[in-house]
Amino acid sequence: MGLEYVKISPGFEKYMPRDYVDLVEFGQFGKEIDVMQMGQFKELVEEHPMCAGCYMAYFIRVFYTALPKPEDTIVLGTAGCARLALSQAAVPFIYGNYGDTNAVASGLKRALSIRFPDKEKDVVVIAGDGGLMDIGFGMTMHSWFRREKFTTIMVDNEVYGNTGGQESGMSPKGIQLKMAPTGKKFDKINAVELAQTAGCVYVARISPTNPKRIAKVIRRAILAARKFGPTFIHAYTSCNIEYSIPTREVLADARQREKKDFKFYEWMTDEVKEYLNEIEKKAKEVKS
Amino acid sequence: MYFVAEVDEKECSKYNCKQCVLFCPEPNCLNFKESGHTAWVWYDRCKGCEICVYVCSDLLKRNCIEMVMVKTGD
Ligand SMILES: Cc1ncc(C[n+]2csc(CCOP(=O)(O)OP(=O)(O)O)c2C)c(N)n1
Ligand code: SF4
Ligand code: SF4
Ligand code: SF4
Ligand SMILES: [Mg+2]
Repeated sequence: MGLEYVKISPGFEKYMPRDYVDLVEFGQFGKEIDVMQMGQFKELVEEHPMCAGCYMAYFIRVFYTALPKPEDTIVLGTAGCARLALSQAAVPFIYGNYGDTNAVASGLKRALSIRFPDKEKDVVVIAGDGGLMDIGFGMTMHSWFRREKFTTIMVDNEVYGNTGGQESGMSPKGIQLKMAPTGKKFDKINAVELAQTAGCVYVARISPTNPKRIAKVIRRAILAARKFGPTFIHAYTSCNIEYSIPTREVLADARQREKKDFKFYEWMTDEVKEYLNEIEKKAKEVKS
Repeated sequence: MYFVAEVDEKECSKYNCKQCVLFCPEPNCLNFKESGHTAWVWYDRCKGCEICVYVCSDLLKRNCIEMVMVKTGD
């Protein structure tokens, strides 16, 4: 889009929907927003039909707050629960066919860098464990092998949530699900290790227990992808429906999992580390 | 009829806290008033999940949020 496209032409303010006017007046476009300001500005994502207490929805809420430049970002999603909210945000959204996200994102990012050689245009894929590690596995891997410069975020609810509870490669071993009643026979895929081996320059695994940390990881992944290559975030985003978690316990569950198999993990190449240090140091200086 | 969260603003304003606002899954549902230092719920956006109650009562022991029954159109 770009900032100019976001603004309302003079005289048209009163004809625009209230939510849009709020976005321009009290939203994130063109501003530096801190995630801790949530609840005090108009968020990019609107009401959506994801389930009550869904922590994938929560992660997506924080994701939009964390975007370094929403007016220059394109989000790519696919079949699965996440797109129910991704399609309700004031950031362009492309629906890739199931499994195709990382191929579509590769083409898109390359086209954007030819069309806008002097601008930073961020491309981010957000898709489920089924979309990225099962059916889209080949596309995901090859985008990493080719060192495509965009961010992939896997919102891992350890199940095919949107289609009613089939097991995925990311479901834990032994788990019984509605459509996998005999229990899963294999281990959960180690996605973070795969990403590192396949050529990602920044990799993180996170459970959504700390909004500041989620935002930091998302920002870092996007900034590193602009310059160096593919980046990957593996986020635990529970499905309270398929895993029968009482909604009041959803955050407690995320905290529990963080102590076990979703311990915070972050890895980056040396050049990425140097680059991010530089940027973060400057940002701190501006603040103080 | 369905449940939504309601903040006891007088109680909440004692703490200058904002934690529930940072963990609600829904956008602009739990908001924060700088003037009164209190959280408040935009009822139309609340799905009644009670994550905010977990944060305020179970984690922080501040007990400022209650679930209340509303009717469609309230
Ligand atoms: C090519 C193709 N195969 C199958 C489907 C059916 N389908 C829709 S969503 C989905 C599973 C979603 O699981 P996941 O990617 O983990 O996302 P979640 O809903 O769990 O967030 C499937 C198999 C499809 N839309 N397209
Ligand atoms: S089915 Fe599960 S992952 Fe999908 S919206 Fe509902 S709680 Fe979230
Ligand atoms: S957690 Fe409780 S005390 Fe803290 S802001 Fe929310 S309602 Fe107020
Ligand atoms: S009940 Fe759930 S949706 Fe409603 S305000 Fe609390 S956390 Fe937000
Ligand atoms: Mg899934």
